[in-house]
Amino acid sequence: MLSINLINTYRIPQTFEYYRPRSLREALELLNAIENAKVIAGGTDLVVDLKYRRVTPRALVDVSGLSELKFVKAGDSYVEIGSATTIQELAENGAVRRYLPLLAEAAELFGSWQIRNLATIGGNLCNASPAADTAPPLLAHDAELELASLSGSRVVPLAKFFAGPKKTVLERGEILRSVRVPVHRRRAGWSFIKVARTSFDLAKVSVAVLLSLDGNTVADVRIALGSVAPTPVRARTAEKHITGASFEEAVALAPELVAREIAPIDDVRSTARYRLEVAKTVVRDAMRRAYERFFRVGVEV
Amino acid sequence: MRVRFKLNGTLVEVEVEPHETLLNVLRDGLKIKSVKYGCGVGECGACTVILDGRPVTSCLVMAAKVDGSEVLTPDYIARTELGKRVVDAMLDEGAIQCGYCSPGFLTTIYAAILKGIRDPEAMKRALLGNLCRCTGYVNIMKAVKRLLESL
Amino acid sequence: MYDFIGKRFPRHDGFIKAAGLAEFTFDVEVPGMLYGRIFKSPYAFAKVGRIDTSLAESMGAVVLTPDDVPDVLFNPRLVSIEEDTFKDWRVLTKTPRYVGEPIAAVAAPTEDSAQRALEALRVEFEEVYEPILDPFEATSPGARQIHARIMRGRRWVEVRSNVGAELRYSEGDLEAEERRSSVIVDRRFHVPRRYHAQLEPKGAVCKIEPDGTLTAWTTTQTIHNTKIMISQVYGIPMNRIDVRKVPIGGGFGSGIHTNLVTLIAVGLCLKAGRPVKLVLTREDDMVHDHVSFEFYMRIRAGATREGEITFGEMENTVDMGAHQVQAYPLLGASLGWFVSLYKWRALRYYGRAVYTNKVPSCAIRGYGAPEVTWAVETVVDEMAEELKMDPVEFRLKNYRGRGEIFWGQGPTVRSVIRSDGVPELMAKCSELIEWKKRGDPKSKTGRFRRGIGVGRGFHTSGAGGPLSGAVIDYSGAIVKLNEDGTVDYITALQDHGGGTLDAHAKIIAEELKVPPSRIRIVWSGTATTVYDVCTHASRGVFVGGEAARRAAAEVRRKILEYAARMLDAVNPEALRVTYDKELDDAVIFVEGAPEKRISLGEVARIAWQRNWGSISASVSYRATVAPPSFTVYFVEVEVDTETGVVRPIRVVAGADVGTVISPELAAGQLHGGFAIGWSWATGDEVVYLRDGTPAHRLSMTDYKIPTVLDLPDDENFTVVFASTHEPFGPFGAKGLGESASNPVVAAVANAIYNAIGVRFYEIPITPERILRALKGGG
Repeated sequence: MLSINLINTYRIPQTFEYYRPRSLREALELLNAIENAKVIAGGTDLVVDLKYRRVTPRALVDVSGLSELKFVKAGDSYVEIGSATTIQELAENGAVRRYLPLLAEAAELFGSWQIRNLATIGGNLCNASPAADTAPPLLAHDAELELASLSGSRVVPLAKFFAGPKKTVLERGEILRSVRVPVHRRRAGWSFIKVARTSFDLAKVSVAVLLSLDGNTVADVRIALGSVAPTPVRARTAEKHITGASFEEAVALAPELVAREIAPIDDVRSTARYRLEVAKTVVRDAMRRAYERFFRVGVEV
Repeated sequence: MRVRFKLNGTLVEVEVEPHETLLNVLRDGLKIKSVKYGCGVGECGACTVILDGRPVTSCLVMAAKVDGSEVLTPDYIARTELGKRVVDAMLDEGAIQCGYCSPGFLTTIYAAILKGIRDPEAMKRALLGNLCRCTGYVNIMKAVKRLLESL
Repeated sequence: MYDFIGKRFPRHDGFIKAAGLAEFTFDVEVPGMLYGRIFKSPYAFAKVGRIDTSLAESMGAVVLTPDDVPDVLFNPRLVSIEEDTFKDWRVLTKTPRYVGEPIAAVAAPTEDSAQRALEALRVEFEEVYEPILDPFEATSPGARQIHARIMRGRRWVEVRSNVGAELRYSEGDLEAEERRSSVIVDRRFHVPRRYHAQLEPKGAVCKIEPDGTLTAWTTTQTIHNTKIMISQVYGIPMNRIDVRKVPIGGGFGSGIHTNLVTLIAVGLCLKAGRPVKLVLTREDDMVHDHVSFEFYMRIRAGATREGEITFGEMENTVDMGAHQVQAYPLLGASLGWFVSLYKWRALRYYGRAVYTNKVPSCAIRGYGAPEVTWAVETVVDEMAEELKMDPVEFRLKNYRGRGEIFWGQGPTVRSVIRSDGVPELMAKCSELIEWKKRGDPKSKTGRFRRGIGVGRGFHTSGAGGPLSGAVIDYSGAIVKLNEDGTVDYITALQDHGGGTLDAHAKIIAEELKVPPSRIRIVWSGTATTVYDVCTHASRGVFVGGEAARRAAAEVRRKILEYAARMLDAVNPEALRVTYDKELDDAVIFVEGAPEKRISLGEVARIAWQRNWGSISASVSYRATVAPPSFTVYFVEVEVDTETGVVRPIRVVAGADVGTVISPELAAGQLHGGFAIGWSWATGDEVVYLRDGTPAHRLSMTDYKIPTVLDLPDDENFTVVFASTHEPFGPFGAKGLGESASNPVVAAVANAIYNAIGVRFYEIPITPERILRALKGGG
């Protein structure tokens, strides 16, 4: 931790330039022109980092007002979400609730109402916290990110976007434009479960499950976890292993298989040992809830 | 930087520093002390204001961002018809103790009612971001229920 | 029976608080004021060399260093008599002993320039020592001395093995009692440091008036002790200091002493010759000068086969951090809680308070009672179980109740218990929670297991007693009748939010028969009030309220004198006073001749017009008893044995507070008492990293307190008040603030045991600890 005399959570103890570009293009130009400029959207992570001086940018480029980045589009084969869409907007959006209920569920459990009204999906992903609540659902959905820059744009699977705690593959001059979530029109059950110290907290462990069954056989399953590894992770080996198994078999095998794919640590919120143990339980719980929802309300995702 | 926004129904124009938050501008610049500082990191909700119809923790909102927005603060909300009813319910049920968190609760409850929240459980979810160390929230929820029943 | 007591009235400060118009210290502004910032030690144990202030001063800042403040040792808590006050603090230090200890301070025209000036200070550290964070390491041979010598009263005392204070006590023949015991339980308990997490960080605003008087606004639970403290440190005569009362955003013990921030603000103000506002940010507050004590307790206790408690033995090592706030009285109070819980036929106690390189500890709601009660109530539960007795019956058989001598606040504060609602509360509450159906832990299966636990405790109502003792405890009140019959109530007593002052207003209303709406509670200062020691020890209603009642009674006596003259009554004894609903005022009439009547408003007006003089009274009151306010908690929890997560299901809280003055606010004390107790039982803990910095990283993101979804709501929270009457209390009332939280940890821990069959001897009982206990391993 930095010297305590350099922190100030009442007034940000550093100065910087502040830009509110009118277009994505202008934002990209600013990012390109200014060394050490940072993009700010909702600010719920960045403003705290500024107060604790974990970051010391020369300029902030505020993209929260860009209508180009605030949208939810439901296409035939995907739902596309603009990066400046707030978490509360996600939780309330009809298309998200209908096609991506897993993401909607995570959005509802995200922070507090005040925080959800500020925080954006793009900010949540770019901050790259292992505990990012929107990441496990989006990983489960094989979401892709469109990264815009002055020279065009590139598409990166979310699974390849995180490079470590608080690290992404975003390059200088790039802005996350949108999150694209493929929709396969396959019936599925879903569940997002988060274990935390209080009802308003970062996760000690979070698990997202998407599950499709053929009779009682697991036809397709996605299991993604937060707060149990340097980045949010998919448990692909476990998924592969239990696909084709009966649900009972799958739910019996999955916890131990998932445990092999995660690497939790001790921190102020919990212990590695607890996370490992509880991840197994929560995987089981989430699978059961997804199973139950598959039959009860199953939606096409 | 010059920032223009509607504060409690009146257009204001203020000079702000790029590193100032909305909390700073309201408290230090405009002397609106009903917006309290509790934690500075969006955890406690004491600084809650309504920004364009939505409650936010003003300690995390950069001042420059509110240009063109509408902001409502607790001192104003308490004087509105609905706000008065919220305050009366809080008073009747003993929902106020030290009072430092109370303006934040008033603001969030007011915003939730305007949004159409009528179910006590949904109201609890809306109030997660307002911390209180005195009341255990029991009388606050009693006030909320009394209010919801009267609407 | 009463016109106002027991009835519901909206609290006097409710609207301004809800609307945010109440002016807290953080909101106070004075024209021309400078803003302060404190240079806090980044090291847990170090020696400061040169402090280069030139850069900061060249930026226009006023800088305060240890050389600029009086070289006076003090204890920021003034409640013990001088001979028992242990002094080891300085306003600013050259030997920081904890991370966060103030070394210097700056004041500048804006908050931003103050921050820049703070960063421009160059502080050299000559030595940085390995911090001592563990009290047992601190007391082991060869450990570095955190303090070599300190002052007790006016004499120097050497500190040995980092033990700052000690207390031994014994009574009865312990060995004989042990021999006749058929059950002996011997357990060790650990309670960590907990941060108060009061919503308002500490702060102070100071100003020198044109006549040289120093005015201060500060987040304190005691304005008069703050005045005395400023006077003692800076040598300012007390009539040149006016500490104003402002609302405080939560106390819980965090402002029981004069927070250092106030003394630093005064220093800056005096040096700058300008008003100064020095308010802490949350991260400053988290390492400033308040956190709970950490307890390491061992309790041995026995009982006969018939279920009679025989002896109790307690060892108590208290980690008090780097300085003493009230560690010595805490050792006595811990003994007092222990002694007064049960009828030990013999007892032995050894307590010691140990220095470590951590934030200094002060009281947190209950002042050791929640900790001791948890330990004792665990041992008592275990003894009952071994004896195959119902834990409720075992408690009823052995608790210290009516007629017994009671000394909750320690050996020098003794009195006899005269009101006792424990049997009534135990009967009512156990029935409400369906105690008999709680089941045995062994019979419970499945993933989610529910359990019901009981905790019984008490707190004193103040720290009064028949002898003066070692504790200062008295209150004052001024009641003044205006010329229209309205009343001003002027008191130094601080209301943390519990509604103490509203209770006082009702007490005055009842005495005078004027409605509370005609009584104004005046925001005052030390210059306009008489001494009140502090709002602590749950004394606000019992001691402060009785002071108010006595002042009102004196005013009433004078009103009757005047009224007798006006009504041609032979003497005041012929008169009666009643509340007249239509007039909404008190009416005085002649008994037997009801047409001879006059309203209080008229009495006041006529007395003014006829030059009879003002009616007012100033009272200073010392209580000769400190009666226990008993509480009983029955809590039902549900444990998820797969995640270790515990949920509160139902709470039945019983309180014997004598007469209930404000039902909704008294219930609020129990709700809030449960909430903080639940938080202690399941979550609160300040952990330190090896370099002495707190692991919560100075942020409420990492130090969590429960939200509205984590606690029971009104449908699952029942409050029961006992039908008792305390003969010494105002209209029969006793205290409540701390008894409301004292038995909560015990009840929660016993409920968890009843659910899963595991006893925990360390709090908080986190999901991590539960899972480890259920599934084994580290």
